[in-house]
Amino acid sequence: MAIGVKVVTRPTEQVSYVRATLKGMALTFKHLINPHKVTTQYPEEKEPISRRWRGTHRMLTDETGKAKCVACGLCPQICPANCIKLVPGEDEEGNRYPLVYEIDEFRCIFCGYCQEVCPEEAIHVGRHYENAEYSRAGFVYDLERLTAQTHPVCEMWDPADPKGE
Amino acid sequence: MSEAKMITLTIEGRQVRVAEGTSILEAAKAAGVLVPHYCYHPGLPVAGVCRMCLVEVEKAPKLAPACATAVAEGQIVHVHSGKALEARKGVLEFLLINHPLDCPICDQAGECELQDYTFAEGRSEGRLIEPKRFNPVEDFGGDVLYVTNRCILCTRCVRFMDDVAQEPVLNVSERGDRAVIGKFEGQDLTHPWSGNVVDLCPVGALLSKDFLNKARAWELDRAASVCPNCTQGCNIMVETRDNMVVRLRPRSNEDVNKYFMCDYGRLNYRWMNRTDRLEAPLVRHGDRLAAAEWEVAIDAAARALEGKRIHAVVSPSLSNEALYLVARILGRGDGTGAFRVERGPEAPLPGVEDLALRADRAANVQGAEMLGFRRSDAPLAGLRGGDALLFVDADPSVLDVGDLERAGAVVVIGTALPEILRTADAVLPIANMVEEEGTFTNIRGRVQRFLQARAAPGMARPSWWVLGDLLARLGEPGSYFLASDVFAALAASRSEFSGLSYDSLGLRGLPVMAPAGAR
Repeated sequence: MAIGVKVVTRPTEQVSYVRATLKGMALTFKHLINPHKVTTQYPEEKEPISRRWRGTHRMLTDETGKAKCVACGLCPQICPANCIKLVPGEDEEGNRYPLVYEIDEFRCIFCGYCQEVCPEEAIHVGRHYENAEYSRAGFVYDLERLTAQTHPVCEMWDPADPKGE
Repeated sequence: MSEAKMITLTIEGRQVRVAEGTSILEAAKAAGVLVPHYCYHPGLPVAGVCRMCLVEVEKAPKLAPACATAVAEGQIVHVHSGKALEARKGVLEFLLINHPLDCPICDQAGECELQDYTFAEGRSEGRLIEPKRFNPVEDFGGDVLYVTNRCILCTRCVRFMDDVAQEPVLNVSERGDRAVIGKFEGQDLTHPWSGNVVDLCPVGALLSKDFLNKARAWELDRAASVCPNCTQGCNIMVETRDNMVVRLRPRSNEDVNKYFMCDYGRLNYRWMNRTDRLEAPLVRHGDRLAAAEWEVAIDAAARALEGKRIHAVVSPSLSNEALYLVARILGRGDGTGAFRVERGPEAPLPGVEDLALRADRAANVQGAEMLGFRRSDAPLAGLRGGDALLFVDADPSVLDVGDLERAGAVVVIGTALPEILRTADAVLPIANMVEEEGTFTNIRGRVQRFLQARAAPGMARPSWWVLGDLLARLGEPGSYFLASDVFAALAASRSEFSGLSYDSLGLRGLPVMAPAGAR
């Protein structure tokens, strides 16, 4: 059984593409001369990010360049994504320090709990978002990598200034 | 006990009846109320120096130290009244004056009573502006490190060494705010039970060098167990981190070890983490051993044992369950079984009756003897030419090549395969003591359960499972589903064990039946 098709005849001014094209091009040319630019020329230009931005981690160091971490084990404990690996050890002076400290940035959900819980203000989440790597393994940041990072760190939620003003 | 006069008192609105002479603290414990305390320990004499257990007793003029005040008829005790809380808050503030608050690097963090009580009852912020006292860390000898700054001078360690170990090595040196725990000139904590001061220390002042910086308290998984290092059978807690045993600690049992365990047992745990373990069943193929499926290997083992007289050399550290199944395999013919026990010097703990590091350094010598195994320095002497040798996790140093050549067949059931046993016909890997469930019978005939603390490597199975399957393959009722089933079979067939079950043993154990006449 053939399907009955209803053929609708419309007036020419409605079906002509010329009119629609001109309308579209008018918008295009309007934007060409419009001084109000919307596109950010990334990567030459960068949008400012919040002071409370939580990006890839950074381990702060003391005056001697050693990581401030004392391997207390609170960050692996609090980490909801279980992405921090920590093996504590003891250095020549009997101080506790991390033998192994690795953060798997792929697993990380960037909640910032590690920074919040750290009693030594050692581990921080960073104000940084350009993290491309050539291999998956590159996303497991070891202690050397974490201490070598230079980007600014997150200024956490301040109870006295909850809106961050 | 029935002689003692009973006294009724009210603690935090709860009525308790306790024997006359009980301290308020113990009575509160019976009522389910914890009175914070540092210097008090049930295994030590009362000192009353920390003042942390101050409680309000109605009609008494002052707050009373609960650990040193005996209960009286009709007393009404308030543990959490405003006055008592205020006093304890003050005590905590004083204790924290010189405490370094280095919890992030302190091994005790997470199991520290100072942390717990400060969190529960202390001030949220310190008011001290003066600098804190500083003293260097001191090595106390043995396994013990003394971090002076963290010490709250509860003197538990001093009292342990004086009254329980009865070898006074520690004292309180200096006076007032300079007071620290000191050692007597030229002495060290070398007493074989001195490691207990680390457990007794309520804070992180006395630390185990062996455990130092190894793990945080909250990362540890704990399993109730029994110390496998001598026949005393101290109740212990096996603490593991990432499937590795990192520490053994005593578990209290009034009838065996009270609250203590010796240093030998405490530190002898590395063998539990051995990595050179047998991980797959092996079967002989011509001149080499090849990995095989369990069914194939059990088959090969059964064929090797079938039709021969069996002589078993067992480890005296096997569980009752495993030894019972070996005994049943031997009982099919006129098999014999023997074991050798490693011996060392005995080291008693003078302050506790009948508690010592025993000379026999294996957990289940008593159980092995009760189940018919003969103790011998030459356990292979019973191996006649052509016999099948069943070697169950015993010390390979008893073997020599001649014995193995004499044997008609060799079946090894063990945790590791020593080089000399590479000529075996079948090799069945089993779990070690912390990887399986079972029971030991200690030197006084007390049957005590131990639980699994870590996973067995590879295809290794619990010894009772392997032996049960082997027994079933040999045509006997076997193939048990649980360790408790094996124990039930043991209890049903051996009069000494009759009436016992995993349920009735609990985690504290029960003595076996008194032997009727000469066994």
